[in-house]
Amino acid sequence: MQRYVMDNNKNTNAQDFLVRDQVIQVLKNRFHTYGYKQVRTQAFESYDMYSNIIGTINKDEMIKVIDSYGKVLVLRPDVTIPLTRTTALNKAISSKNQRLFYVLDVFRQSTEQIDQKESTQAGIECFGENSPEIDSEVIMMATHTLKDLDFNNFKIEIGHAGFFKELLELTNLNNHEIEILQSLIQSKNLAEIEPFLSSLSIEENIKKAIETIPMMYGNPRQVIEQAKSIILNDSMQKILQNLIDVYDILQDCNVDHAVLYNLGLINNMNYYSGIIFQGFVDTIGKPVLMGGRYDRLGEQFGKPTPAIGFAFEVDYLIHALNQEGSTDKQDTFVDVTIIYDKEKQKEALLAAYELRDTGYQVLIDRAEEKLNTVTSTFRVQFSNVQHSILIQNKKQEFKHSAELFSIIRKEDV
Amino acid sequence: MEHITLALAKGRPANSTIKLLETTGEYFTDLHEDTRKLVFYNANKTIKLIFVKALDVPTYVEKGAADIGIVGRDNILESQADVYELLDLKIGQCKFAVAGKPDHNFSDTQKLTIATKYPNVAKKHFKKKGQPIETVKLNGSVELAPIIGLADYIVDIVETGSTLKENGLIVIEDMDLISTRLIVNKASFATKSEEVGQFINQLKSVME
Repeated sequence: MQRYVMDNNKNTNAQDFLVRDQVIQVLKNRFHTYGYKQVRTQAFESYDMYSNIIGTINKDEMIKVIDSYGKVLVLRPDVTIPLTRTTALNKAISSKNQRLFYVLDVFRQSTEQIDQKESTQAGIECFGENSPEIDSEVIMMATHTLKDLDFNNFKIEIGHAGFFKELLELTNLNNHEIEILQSLIQSKNLAEIEPFLSSLSIEENIKKAIETIPMMYGNPRQVIEQAKSIILNDSMQKILQNLIDVYDILQDCNVDHAVLYNLGLINNMNYYSGIIFQGFVDTIGKPVLMGGRYDRLGEQFGKPTPAIGFAFEVDYLIHALNQEGSTDKQDTFVDVTIIYDKEKQKEALLAAYELRDTGYQVLIDRAEEKLNTVTSTFRVQFSNVQHSILIQNKKQEFKHSAELFSIIRKEDV
Repeated sequence: MEHITLALAKGRPANSTIKLLETTGEYFTDLHEDTRKLVFYNANKTIKLIFVKALDVPTYVEKGAADIGIVGRDNILESQADVYELLDLKIGQCKFAVAGKPDHNFSDTQKLTIATKYPNVAKKHFKKKGQPIETVKLNGSVELAPIIGLADYIVDIVETGSTLKENGLIVIEDMDLISTRLIVNKASFATKSEEVGQFINQLKSVME
């Protein structure tokens, strides 16, 4: 028989879970302090809902399931869309300032990475208000969380979904041309943007603007100055003002050092309408977080709802932390280990029960060898000759269990 | 200052790149023609140079194992890596082309078999034309395929066309132009902006 090897070797041992759990706990605590409440969405979603919303998730990437009525379902490919739907459809919730967060697995498949079908996202959505204050608070929260995770060097890249869209409005490019242009801008491919634009019939000043977008990158103040030169109409002026307002507030939040502006940032999720951003850390080549403002998504469910949100890729965060070596790989660790002789069995078992009852983690065994590999704060021995407890290599004797408890309690303050 | 990792593909583009770097004053210790070492540092250890296979350069850069890569555009297109393509070094210039036997005449409806080292590039090109194809991935001597009858056409890089000519093939259709490009990991561009920017400016200054 062929051995069954998991094709997707996601870290599944207890130690990895502990690290994952700690990371998630840090994220949850931080989201909580900004007034966000945790929610979950169902694992099975309607395929129709996703396929009706244009420009979101590639239909081929969704994992489909057919139920017994023949209805097509998909495994939750994202969380933002169902949360927006719930908020838009539920009349009972006043959509004014709903702050929600989630930690959920999302499922997608791609031909390039056939063995990567699930990933954990931890994200927030803030519904009900469109203001530079909310935008910058959300970005502030993202940097705050990255700081909590002890990343030495991280950067949030901020762009605006409207900028490129406004410029496109001024041209009459077809979808195919837009697609090529978009990928050239996304890869900042200056060598080819110029000849490509020349091959299209676009007015000179618009061409100039599109050409300069990719290199509007870096220090926000500089980018804002550069961008002033390519403003062609009122709506672009509004967008620029939005970027200026957000930066002003970010400076007062003291996070401007961690922020870059990138006007060449285009998110493939078409539903973004305002500020968009992504976060990078030193040790991993992909963004660990992505997000932005998506005021128009609610319209798809019949109720316009201003909204902004972002999500961390928890697996990337863990990978990056492992690379930085900031997750400590301890061996099995417990509070108390107890070894005992057969004659003292009752006493030892009762002591273990008492300790566990008060919340200590206890491993107990008669054979010393089995517990040798386990690190513990307290090593207790119930032997025929004497009872002893070992704390940081210092041995202490005790007569009965009550004495043991008081020693442990005293040490443990 | 943090060091940056630069991935190069062994071969002609690497030699020209290293020459360019030397004109900027960056010399790499122990680096000579027949060394088998794969990792080198410049004098003040601000640049770590690694040698990898050409097609792997975009992968190294996309994953962030290298901050910067210098490689032919053919490999970037084939790998479909999500990276910044910031600079055209204007060396190693050639083009992608569809080539085949001169006497071959295929009706448009027939499904074509294309032999190539670049299946992704070939698929993309024919998809755009609405022509269904089947690709045969080969790793070398691609010119042989139409002669032997393994494929109808090939998609390959063409520099002078002499290899094609000697094997009795002609260029049927020109595709994208190719030259050596500098690519940058998107995260490195954000977190090491200064170092990456400085390196690119250094290169630019000696190119003109």
